[in-house]
Amino acid sequence: MSVDPKAAKAIADLARLSLAPEAAGGGGDGPGSPGAGEPGRVAGEMSKIVGYMEILNECETSGVEPMYSPMADPQPPREDIPREAGEGSGDWILDGAPETFGRFFSVPRIF
Amino acid sequence: MASDPRLARLDLAQAREGLLKGDFTSAELVGAALDRVAETEPALQACLCVLGDQALRDAARLDAGGPDPAMPLWGVPVSVKDVFLVRGAPTTAGSRMLEGYMPGFEAEVVTRLRAAGAVITAKTNLDEFAMGSSTEFSAFRPTRNPWNLGRVPGGSSGGCAAGVAAFQAAGGFGTDTGGSIRQPAALCGCVGLKPTYGRVSRYGIVAYGSSLDQAGPMARNVRDCARLFAAVAGPDGRDSTSSRVPPEDLSALSPPEAKGLRLALPRELWEGSFDAEVGKVLDSAKGLLASAGISLETVGMPSLRFSVAAYYVIAAAEASTNLARYDGVRYGYRTPSKGDLLSLYRESRTAGLGREARRRILLGTFALSSGYYDAYYRKAAQVRRLIRDEYARTLEEYDFILAPVSSIPAWPFGSFTEDPLTQYQLDVMTLPLNLAGGPGLSLPAGLGGDGLPVGVQIMGPHFREKALLEAGILLEGIFPRLPEPPLKAL
Repeated sequence: MSVDPKAAKAIADLARLSLAPEAAGGGGDGPGSPGAGEPGRVAGEMSKIVGYMEILNECETSGVEPMYSPMADPQPPREDIPREAGEGSGDWILDGAPETFGRFFSVPRIF
Repeated sequence: MASDPRLARLDLAQAREGLLKGDFTSAELVGAALDRVAETEPALQACLCVLGDQALRDAARLDAGGPDPAMPLWGVPVSVKDVFLVRGAPTTAGSRMLEGYMPGFEAEVVTRLRAAGAVITAKTNLDEFAMGSSTEFSAFRPTRNPWNLGRVPGGSSGGCAAGVAAFQAAGGFGTDTGGSIRQPAALCGCVGLKPTYGRVSRYGIVAYGSSLDQAGPMARNVRDCARLFAAVAGPDGRDSTSSRVPPEDLSALSPPEAKGLRLALPRELWEGSFDAEVGKVLDSAKGLLASAGISLETVGMPSLRFSVAAYYVIAAAEASTNLARYDGVRYGYRTPSKGDLLSLYRESRTAGLGREARRRILLGTFALSSGYYDAYYRKAAQVRRLIRDEYARTLEEYDFILAPVSSIPAWPFGSFTEDPLTQYQLDVMTLPLNLAGGPGLSLPAGLGGDGLPVGVQIMGPHFREKALLEAGILLEGIFPRLPEPPLKAL
């Protein structure tokens, strides 16, 4: 199957990515690098890759149970006993946040 | 004071002997490794972060307590790919998204390495989030191959392989999702082990494909790989994908007899088109094995024809899920522009993630989306079972599977960066094993006429790394020994 620019844009929306050329940052190789986020180009590239994946249809799989993990002996759930999260109080979890508000992660107003 | 350059070239067994006898201290050994890093890094660019002061402090602390024979890696310098969380060092996973991220905890692999007495000297370069086969998709810089600085080192654990090959560390740890340990090891002329899925804890490793990722060692010989592996293998209650199968005792390894050993050579991996130099080395390797009395038999594994397609559906699906966490809120890059929550997500992710990471997220989102899930993701998972079953059947009949690692040697920079599908197809030799979940060991088979190393891999039954490593020791003794890499552009 082929992916058209409209479908590419819809997939990008689901993935929380921008393809529009006017998007800030624009999808180079890092913050601020302008360029490649164009729906047509991405659609062409995806069509080529997804087209190749259609070789899977040549494989007879009726009655084959899908294998989502190679684990043969999954770990049983452990007892639900609270433990220290890393060192100290766990405040370090906030240390990597780009913006915080007191002891909370901060996001734009949603109401 | 300048260190003794010979110290950096010692293998782990020699380093351990010298340390325990007191011929040199851990600080001297680690100092020699760090000097070698300083000397070679301008050419190689193998490291994203060198832990100079921290490593020297760790070494001095070990020296103060004196050599401890109970610690199998006491005092030796080890590098780790920059997906392992190391306390006190930034973890970027090769992405601008995580630039400056300081983890609050440590990967279980690193904790076990420290408990075994190892000193972590550097965090090595990789393709962004381990997605790639050349390190060219590192957001920071590509690593160069020590055998020819104009060539890629392979990937995604390319920094680790280049550094180990160039004596920056006695050994290192990478991760292998579709060949990311075995392929760079082969392209850089070192040994790399991808353990069985579930054998090594994934706790504290930046995730890419959660049903495929497995951490493992790289070193300059098989026994060193075994030493590094033994220090980290075994169950971890903090990783739900860690197996409870008890680890094997690897303290004594004896290679099997060549006569009577039966290797299966899958037609699907040996009958493709090969670079001429690679083909010559592979032919010569097969000749050497046969002369030694090892039986080589061609077998059919017809499902391997579907492995690249199945792998890239599954890996992309898992990548899109794992990378959903990079949202500009909890860690990593956040767009400075002020919009609503959705545009915060979109703009942070679009700017913070590189080209290949975004491509795989889009592919994975497509494969998991309603309407396409059954045709792609479920179908790929069915094919995966067929591939796993073929491995199991082949290994019931043969001791190991023998295969090339790459059909081409280390390639010039830029060869495939604009052609993702061709680059994906180059992974055909290595990625079926990740789908099957078993262990594989890549080791040098010789040097091509172009001066570039060529590797082969052997693959064995799940959780039987000991036999695999022992067979690796046998093969290593049969294949020619590589010279020191020249660190020049040829």
